[in-house]
Amino acid sequence: MAAATHDAPAHPPTNTGVDNRKLLMWGFLASECLFFGSLIATYLIFRDESIIGPFPHDWVDINGTEHEGVLDIPLTSISTFVLLMSSVTMVLAVYGARIGRPQMMKVWLLATAVLGLGFLGFQAYEFVAFVDEGLTLGTNQFGASFFVLTGLHGTHVGVGVLVLLLTLLGSFRRNGLGPNAGDHVEIVGLYWHFVDIVWIIIFTVVYLIPSAPPPGVIEFF
Amino acid sequence: MSADSEHVAPAHHGPTVRQYLLIGLVLAIITVIEVWLSFSDIGAILVPALLIFSGIKFVIVVGWFMHLRYDSLFLTQLFVVGLVLGSGVLLSLITLFWTDASDIVGFN
Repeated sequence: MAAATHDAPAHPPTNTGVDNRKLLMWGFLASECLFFGSLIATYLIFRDESIIGPFPHDWVDINGTEHEGVLDIPLTSISTFVLLMSSVTMVLAVYGARIGRPQMMKVWLLATAVLGLGFLGFQAYEFVAFVDEGLTLGTNQFGASFFVLTGLHGTHVGVGVLVLLLTLLGSFRRNGLGPNAGDHVEIVGLYWHFVDIVWIIIFTVVYLIPSAPPPGVIEFF
Repeated sequence: MSADSEHVAPAHHGPTVRQYLLIGLVLAIITVIEVWLSFSDIGAILVPALLIFSGIKFVIVVGWFMHLRYDSLFLTQLFVVGLVLGSGVLLSLITLFWTDASDIVGFN
């Protein structure tokens, strides 16, 4: 039976016509949609329920005094760009693996891992800055939901970086990644791109969409 | 069935390197637009606009970078099921637990 997909050179005889590992990865990513969907919903629910600060975005209290929110959108825009570019480098690595250019694959795998580490560096810096400003997991509802959501996403990125580095390491073996290098790298790429699109949503929902003003009246009772 | 060594370069069906770079550029431009919008005072249209742009980026990455538009329809169906369920969980939680400031104990 002809393979249902277009780009892989050949497929093992499976019932679906799709490589089982690829199918497994897509199934896993589908389950991750539920995972992050619930986390994002939790964040949206609790974000505006904090009765003490720090708060996410700038706000004005009843006396007209302006207060700064903790979220640094320009900085996070840079980290978002870094992660976005890592998706570009990842797809180039897959391309290199598919057309049988191992050097190209290795270079872009390394670039992706480096960019991923760069993103994690930005996240770490942001977390430390927030703690310095008094926002921790236990400070308020915003802090709890924010750190859980972005922390778990960061963990996913960290796992992705680890897998990228292990894949890169494996490519230096005598037989490289084997005859199905394209499949291996593509499956890694699927995970990496998913981590990126989750961040696309998180960046929009957490950073760009303004939160409701906090019930500042409480602070003056 | 071949492809038993890296000397046999299988055909790559899908975007070329140039197209990938162009797609990356488009994604970057959309991100810049989103950030610009978030700092602009455009009123109630901000949230829908940001969600639409995010949706566009989502589709681009899933379709082209993750290769879903070139792959088996079965994979698309599998992913969409997860996406629909995830969206359902999100909407359900928000519907069930969303509160406004007046519901917070101690307010007013």
